[in-house]
Amino acid sequence: MVEMIPPAFLFFAAAVIVPFLPMMLRPFLLIAVPILSGLIVWSLPEGMLWQVGFFGFELELMRVDALSRIFALIFSLAAFLGNLYAWHVRDTVQQVAALLYAGAAIGAVFAGDLITLFFYWEGTAIASVFLIWARRTEGAYHTGLRYLIIQIASGVILLAGAVLWHAETGSITFERMTLGSPATYLIFFSFGMKCAFPLLHNWLQDAYPAATVTGTVILSAFTTKLAVYALARGFAGTEVLIYIGALMTLFPIFYAVIENDLRRVLAYSLNNQLGFMVVGIGIGTELALNGTAAHAFAHILYKALLFMSVGAVLFRTGTAKGSELGGLYKTMPLTMIFCVVGAASISAFPLFSGFVTKSLILSASAKEHYNYIWAILLFASAGVFHHSGIKIPYFAFFAHDSGKRPKEAPVHMLLAMGITAFLCVAIGVYPEPLYALLPYEVKYESYTTTHVITQLQLLFFSALAFTVLMRTGIYPPELKSVNLDFDWSYRRAGRAVLGYFHAVAGLSGAYFTALVGGWIGRVYDRFHHSTGPEGRLAQSWPTGAMVLWIAILLGVTMAVNFLN
Amino acid sequence: MSGHRDEDTSKFPLLGRLFLWADNPKSVNKMVYGLYTLCAALFAADFLYHKHVYLAVEEFPGFYALYGFFMCALLVICAKGMRVFLKRDEDYYTPYDVESEEYPEDQLEKVDHDG
Repeated sequence: MVEMIPPAFLFFAAAVIVPFLPMMLRPFLLIAVPILSGLIVWSLPEGMLWQVGFFGFELELMRVDALSRIFALIFSLAAFLGNLYAWHVRDTVQQVAALLYAGAAIGAVFAGDLITLFFYWEGTAIASVFLIWARRTEGAYHTGLRYLIIQIASGVILLAGAVLWHAETGSITFERMTLGSPATYLIFFSFGMKCAFPLLHNWLQDAYPAATVTGTVILSAFTTKLAVYALARGFAGTEVLIYIGALMTLFPIFYAVIENDLRRVLAYSLNNQLGFMVVGIGIGTELALNGTAAHAFAHILYKALLFMSVGAVLFRTGTAKGSELGGLYKTMPLTMIFCVVGAASISAFPLFSGFVTKSLILSASAKEHYNYIWAILLFASAGVFHHSGIKIPYFAFFAHDSGKRPKEAPVHMLLAMGITAFLCVAIGVYPEPLYALLPYEVKYESYTTTHVITQLQLLFFSALAFTVLMRTGIYPPELKSVNLDFDWSYRRAGRAVLGYFHAVAGLSGAYFTALVGGWIGRVYDRFHHSTGPEGRLAQSWPTGAMVLWIAILLGVTMAVNFLN
Repeated sequence: MSGHRDEDTSKFPLLGRLFLWADNPKSVNKMVYGLYTLCAALFAADFLYHKHVYLAVEEFPGFYALYGFFMCALLVICAKGMRVFLKRDEDYYTPYDVESEEYPEDQLEKVDHDG
């Protein structure tokens, strides 16, 4: 029964086989596995399909329902597109890591209990860091370590939460929880770390631009959307998520405007898009949860497409910085067009995927009368268009001519981008098949006159603002720089505080030694002189004394034992 | 733009040559005026149909247009202001991040379009 193989195991099996295959054959396996996995997920019946006993616990490895199915499907699709994009990579580490990472993510969305979830949760952390280390530079090594520490910490906190949850309820089932007990707070916090909640977000902007050209495309799909899935499963309708999500949509867009590294701009906008999904989870109505699932699906595709196009530029020019690029449309026109399709999709232009998914969440917030949240989301939508929709294509492919004349991206990259772009448009034009996959029945019409016109107004007037600011010279130019974010607290301030204590401890140690060291030293010398191995007292001790003492100790031990 | 006017563009990909008009300042102006016209038309559209809305504020004529324009301007100006406090040199965290490193050449395929 082929449909009973957990798709995750397929990826793991392939990861074991890949290093032994000749390099020529590996890319075929790398794209065949996600296709097979997608087919299996598609044909799975709903229910608990696979239980395993584990130290007295019953683990649910395959909980299939509409929510887990849509995430497993998009993860399989993302793995396929990412591996196709990485067809040229001849690096065993990245090939194995990509398979293990995708497998762990797919395993995690089917996990029906917290222990299984924990294993896969840590699996995604460990597998994915190799996509960063595979860059093989000192900076990437340090960045990878920071990433790994935070990801592993998230897993450890999840485990602590699971243990407390078991103590509290006697169950390890991963179901909807209500915030209130220490267990639920820990689990919530752990999900929040992976979901890049405000102040827990810096690993994302830190790590994604440091990965390899292809690694970033693969990274962008799984970790954060796994966290979105986990929140949707565990904490749907938790009101605080609405405010957390709104904050998430808001602050990254400011950073995205002044960030120079275009892959980091995309990481900030990824953070902002997660905010929309988190708001949807917080609202928790059927419409909102449908919106979250649909938006995650569309988002994985257009975000991958944007990372692919900027990655192709990096692959051909050696840089992804806005200050170094410009004018590339002349020799990379196809990459430019695909980038624009991704940009239009993330900006939610009518006929592109973002339009038919983000509107579910915005409508849900307005329907439930979260007016200020709605206004923030609307602002964030305009902001997204500003930095992802205009800035990315503009500074990479147009703006001032950098004089770079790179060759068009390789065929396999163009193919991967082409398929992804096609899907972005297909979802936008004909959303019904996606709507049919959602957890609840969809009674929503996105193409109403009002919605199309108001959205076009929002977008074109945002473009107008960009144009006016650009022509008046107010728009901040792309500069070679880094911008301080919250990670400064642990990368600089934390270091400085540690350094201070280190210095203080070192100094006081030296002072103490100088003050009393001489006196202690003299006492020690005196004792050493008389009782040390060469001392007078040691010379006269018979060997028998030692044997005697051992005999006495043994006797006492036996006596104590007998008395017990 | 100006420095490359004498370069041979005939070897550019066909699609790239089709877009070359975008380099001409005159066509940029045309596009900008096109955008102005489009915006004016979209603003006017608000008076020509019946809006189906959830919130009262949406009924305000041109709400989405004004909100998009002014919030985006605000966004950019605030972000520009943030630079005063947050901008640091590219090697601020060096050697602990990749910002000032070259991307390893052996993982790239840097080829010119005619190379």
